[in-house]
Amino acid sequence: MSTKGTKIPERLKIPFAGITPAPTQEKGQDLFPTGNWRSIRPVYRDKLPPCNNACGTNEKIQGYLDLVKRGKYLDAYALIKEDMPFPSVTGRVCYHPCEQACNRGKYDEAISIRAVERFLGDLGQALARDVVKAGTPNGKKVAVVGSGPAGHSAAYQLARLGYKVTILEKSPKAGGLNRGGIPDWVLPQHVLDREIERLVEIGVTIKTNVEVGKDVTWDELKKNYDACVLAVGLTEPNSVRAEGENKDGVLYGLPFLRDIGMGTSKVKVGARVAVIGGGNTAIDCAREALRQGAVEVTMITVESNPQEMPAVPEDLHDMVEEGVELMHGRTVTAVLGNGRIEALQLHPARFSGAINASPITVDKEAKAERFAVDNVIIAVGQRASLGWLPDEFKTERGTIKIDRFGRLGDTNFFAAGDIVQLGSGQPLMVVNAVGDGKRVAFNLDKVLRGQALEPRTVPVDVLFDLNRMNMTYFPHFPRVQQTLLPAASRRKTQEEVIQAYSEEQAVEEASRCFSCGTCNACDNCYLVCPEPCIVRDVRSNGLYKILVDYCKGCRVCIEECPTGCLEGVPELDFDTGVVRMDTAFAVSPGLHGRQAEELKNLGDRAAKNI
Amino acid sequence: MPTATEVKKRTVRINGCVAAAQAAKYADVDVITAYPIRPYTATMMALAQMVANGELDAEYIVADSEHSQLSIAHGAASSGARVFTGSSGVGVQFAYELYSPISGSRMPVQMMIADRTLDPPGDFGSEHTDALSTRDMGWLMGWSCDAQEAFDNHLMAYRIGEDPRVLLPQMVCQDGFFVSHITSDVELPDSGQVKEFLPPYKHPYPLDPRHPVSHGPQIMPEQGPPLQLERARAMEDSMAVIEQVHDEFANIFGRRYDPWIEEFMTDGAEVVFFLQGAHAVTARFAIQHMRDKGLKVGLVRLRTIRPYPTDRVKEVLSKFKVVGVVETNMGLGSVSSGGVLYSEVCAALYESQQRPLVVSFMAGMGGEAIVMKEFYWMTQKMMEAQKQGKIEKRTHWVGFEE
Repeated sequence: MSTKGTKIPERLKIPFAGITPAPTQEKGQDLFPTGNWRSIRPVYRDKLPPCNNACGTNEKIQGYLDLVKRGKYLDAYALIKEDMPFPSVTGRVCYHPCEQACNRGKYDEAISIRAVERFLGDLGQALARDVVKAGTPNGKKVAVVGSGPAGHSAAYQLARLGYKVTILEKSPKAGGLNRGGIPDWVLPQHVLDREIERLVEIGVTIKTNVEVGKDVTWDELKKNYDACVLAVGLTEPNSVRAEGENKDGVLYGLPFLRDIGMGTSKVKVGARVAVIGGGNTAIDCAREALRQGAVEVTMITVESNPQEMPAVPEDLHDMVEEGVELMHGRTVTAVLGNGRIEALQLHPARFSGAINASPITVDKEAKAERFAVDNVIIAVGQRASLGWLPDEFKTERGTIKIDRFGRLGDTNFFAAGDIVQLGSGQPLMVVNAVGDGKRVAFNLDKVLRGQALEPRTVPVDVLFDLNRMNMTYFPHFPRVQQTLLPAASRRKTQEEVIQAYSEEQAVEEASRCFSCGTCNACDNCYLVCPEPCIVRDVRSNGLYKILVDYCKGCRVCIEECPTGCLEGVPELDFDTGVVRMDTAFAVSPGLHGRQAEELKNLGDRAAKNI
Repeated sequence: MPTATEVKKRTVRINGCVAAAQAAKYADVDVITAYPIRPYTATMMALAQMVANGELDAEYIVADSEHSQLSIAHGAASSGARVFTGSSGVGVQFAYELYSPISGSRMPVQMMIADRTLDPPGDFGSEHTDALSTRDMGWLMGWSCDAQEAFDNHLMAYRIGEDPRVLLPQMVCQDGFFVSHITSDVELPDSGQVKEFLPPYKHPYPLDPRHPVSHGPQIMPEQGPPLQLERARAMEDSMAVIEQVHDEFANIFGRRYDPWIEEFMTDGAEVVFFLQGAHAVTARFAIQHMRDKGLKVGLVRLRTIRPYPTDRVKEVLSKFKVVGVVETNMGLGSVSSGGVLYSEVCAALYESQQRPLVVSFMAGMGGEAIVMKEFYWMTQKMMEAQKQGKIEKRTHWVGFEE
């Protein structure tokens, strides 16, 4: 009788013959810790989404899109405000490098991130009280020179860190490039005003009509403040060095826009206007000229076709739609007329280098064209005015000399924005200036607290490869388009051209986000795990846990993770969580190889029973 | 016929499931048919990836059950394809109808088994009952004890089964978890070596509309016995082929296995374990320790159970005083009222002039690991029997007795 004398141990007792305990953790699974089967362990590792990586100020884009998707608009607004003081502005004006980087762009159409940002920014504008608070005062005073994007951003972050911040602004109104470089029909002034109010609400003092070098000197800045951020921007327009450029009717891009923005413009443009330049400022000038009463506006570029122009394609398209003509491959060699401009003399031209910032080769042999105009607006870039700056901090390219932390030598002066980025290879755009202002604010804070400045050494894993996600979970879905005012009517008004998203549109667009490489609490791992080896208390990002005692490493959760935040890591990489057994399956240097030492003693331990 | 990509010999760290998949890839199988059940699923997962990645040019058919899976395998083999399939536990049982027709029509289908305990209720640990219950269906059958051996056995099984003297399907078995899921170093050969060892499969009478033949029609009762006799003859004839193939394998790949039995530390041994599969790994280790302490204990591992090497078992086991059969299978109401291996051992020993005592151990049931101290306990039981000159009882339930 084989069963004679057998006895089932108490811990394995069954309730009734053929009936086994319910597979609960207490009585069922504990009997068989299948974690021992595993050679690959699933691990949640969030990657950096490409949008966050591409953003000049590293907004947590995936994060706020996810919150918008869930209807948590206020949380989303608070998240965006960590890195961006004025989402209502960038939601309108940003050249959105995030959208160019968006993985969805390789799949169907990039997420309209800017439109969602504007939705959140406008939501913030409507709040009676902003979510952002000033930091606990630390008694230190910082001057920020310039109230453009970089200065605004630096002042904002410093105020949040507890500094007493004073902004010194040369113009009669704060805003810098945000006010003077961007037309009303892109960014209405009241939107910017509201953001500047927000800055004052957190304790920032703004002194207008104060020009560095004139009303305040370098030494005074040094003496009166614990530190200073120089965010003076590029204020002087470049010339095209054409003969007769000093004639009446010759205008320059940024001053043209600035005077209109500040309300101090005395210019009355004629019927025929030419704009020289192929960049974004030139486009804004051309479109503004229409609104100022021009009938025929022609844009003259050295670039030989629209694709080469260093401009945002949508804006270029909208400009052409409004009726601006393009004339390529030419430059102005002389402004003709008797005291006042009558026509331009044009010659064929091209860039002599590969990029559109390289010198221009003009074909003087070719027959000159005469192009009759009433005004010309020259918009071929800006430069700085740095007469007030000590020579030791000037670079050859006419910018401020800084170290990689934005600091001027070992002084407590820092610089940010276009004034340091010009010619650095970084495109000059609002969001890059904001990011610069933010980073410099944090570096300044470290220096004043006596901490060492160290570059970040942790490598970032940016998820660019769609193969690292499970694309079967993402049906193709078109981008939610923002409506535009009709081209015919908008060319004569200062009304905003691009219309805001409705709430439904914002949610729909945010829902298109892949959440590249980042857990978005989709619950998929939790649902597909064939065993209950993945647990969570609440459904929330990053709160999922693997029960390593039971997970067999079947990889189903890894393969089925839509966003690719779950990774399979070889079990050998772990010191903990391997279930140990009294067997000898570890003798070869395999999965349980590190148990080999223990196994040597195992024989002796067990042999005592003999 | 597309061939697998040329690869060089290399050592990789993989588990038994992936080793089996690798073997199928090296064998350049034409048709793979899958239906998921743990733990063998990982093999099909690996193969699916190989096919998807273009490493292996094969038809990958996901069936709607194991019954369909084996039916597809049968049909594909009939058309002349080299077929790879597999299953575990109750999945093996669900396909039961097909085992005899496949061997009866002499289709050398290969089936990978990663053992799983049969229900009830849902225990997925390794127990050999799933494959052993089909042991008399005309399939060649044997167990591997680690991933390398699994890889090698799969390659050899194709060669043996497809030999014109044999033409029989093969079940290449490995313990679930202990082999299927534990990672170890496996030497993968040069593709040239495999080409030399395993010629392309060519069935003599494949289904082909240009040359019509009949496979498996209804027959008169008198036509049955010749078919059965031929199948029995093939089983017997396979024994010489198995030995020859193992020799050739050793010459080409440098790893020599005894086709039937592995003896471990049996020199001067008086009591021996007799078992199949993965638990040999722990047994060897336990035996080394006991040998260090002067105990005369050894291990005899059966590598091929079908065809059963009756004479060899008799010859080897007659040298010892006590044989302890570690079953790892269920034979409810069987000869020993324990497992089914006991009767295979006893039947082989019946004609021996010098019969050892035979005792059966129910250990490793439900996929439980047989731990070191259980091997010591079993050795103690065998040594007691040796001293008494008789066994206490035919079957011991290890872990449930004092």
